[in-house]
Amino acid sequence: MADPHGAAAPHGADATHATTAAEHGSGGGGVPQFQFEHWGGQIAYLLVLFVILYVLISRVFAPRMRKVLDERAGTIAGALDAAKRVQAEAEDQARAAAAEVAGARGQAQQLAAEARAKASAEAAQRTAAADAEAAAKVAEAEARISATRETAMGNVGAIAEDTAKAIVEKLTGKTASAVELKAAGGNA
Amino acid sequence: MASPLEQFEIHKLVDFPDITLPLIGKVDLAITNSHVAMTIVFVAIVAFLAAVTSKAKVVPGRLQTIGEGVFGLIDNMTDSMLGHEGRKYFPFVFTIFTLILGMNLLGMMLTFTATSQLAITVTFALITFGLVMVIGVAKNGFGFLKLFWPSGAPLVMRPFVGLIELISFFLRPLTLSLRLFGNMMGGHVALKVFAGFVAAAAIGSLGAIIGPPVGIVSMAMVIALTALEFLVAFLQAFVFAILTCIYLNDVVNLDHAH
Repeated sequence: MADPHGAAAPHGADATHATTAAEHGSGGGGVPQFQFEHWGGQIAYLLVLFVILYVLISRVFAPRMRKVLDERAGTIAGALDAAKRVQAEAEDQARAAAAEVAGARGQAQQLAAEARAKASAEAAQRTAAADAEAAAKVAEAEARISATRETAMGNVGAIAEDTAKAIVEKLTGKTASAVELKAAGGNA
Repeated sequence: MASPLEQFEIHKLVDFPDITLPLIGKVDLAITNSHVAMTIVFVAIVAFLAAVTSKAKVVPGRLQTIGEGVFGLIDNMTDSMLGHEGRKYFPFVFTIFTLILGMNLLGMMLTFTATSQLAITVTFALITFGLVMVIGVAKNGFGFLKLFWPSGAPLVMRPFVGLIELISFFLRPLTLSLRLFGNMMGGHVALKVFAGFVAAAAIGSLGAIIGPPVGIVSMAMVIALTALEFLVAFLQAFVFAILTCIYLNDVVNLDHAH
């Protein structure tokens, strides 16, 4: 800070700068920020830098950055959409599958019910047929028995006559006539 | 020992003859350490943003994640504060934020802190204030004055509240610049003071008895303050960006908000 303005600055204002330097430049004391002879250069330079940076950011960097961010937002939104679509599709398929399963179950139940009904009908039919056969056999047997009894009952008279004749012969020594025997048999 | 203020001194590295411009007057074109610091920050920001955006992928890498974090921070800020107009003002707020953050952080790397120069913070504040004024008048014309008319206050109070609003509006560049300037300068002065104690204790100029404890405590302070200053470096850039958004919102959405 010995010479704030350089040797090649012979203007009148230099005197004030020199006193400023004498007051502030000797270490301690004043605040360097209030040496106003340095303000102009800094302000002008900062303005230039600011404008250049502003133009660079508004024309180059911000659009580039925004493009990437928008692209990313688009990608994410697209992926989310796709995911939602796939999910909806999967839900549809799940619903269809559930409906199919329910239909199949109903069909199976129906089939089972039908089969059960058919089986029970067949069984009933078979039982009925067996019953009928058995009843026929019983009836036949009964008819045979009653025929046998009829014959047996028919023979009873002859047997009784024979027996009476034999008993009469044994008792009287005479042969009883057929008429007498018949009468006896009729009375007996 | 060097004064804690020495770090804020401007040194000419390359000197050029002054030029005289109309309106502005004499301008010293010398390249100083402040210019070098600003240039480093500028180049670093451009290099960082170029690296982040040139090979930007949908699935980001590490560097891109950081870049998108910074980008998203300001983007959300402008979006939430300025509404659908936010994107239009994003580049401006982002430029301010990255420049201030870069200068603050460069100051933490043992070099010159550009944002501890009042000239720099005043420039930032005036850029913001100027933009607010220009947009305010361009968008609203005389309706711009509605900003100072507190329609919610009782009628008797309105002129007084309006006057206060007017004063506070024109104090904005001052508060903007002094907040950043004061924070950065104060932090670096405190750091330098404690570092000075450490150095003094290390060379034994504080004596054998009180030297070591003072040195140890000061070293702890330096470490703690360094951490704090990193936080402040980010926070002040963030605060500046938020206030820029708030001030812009005042004029951009003047009709909706009031």
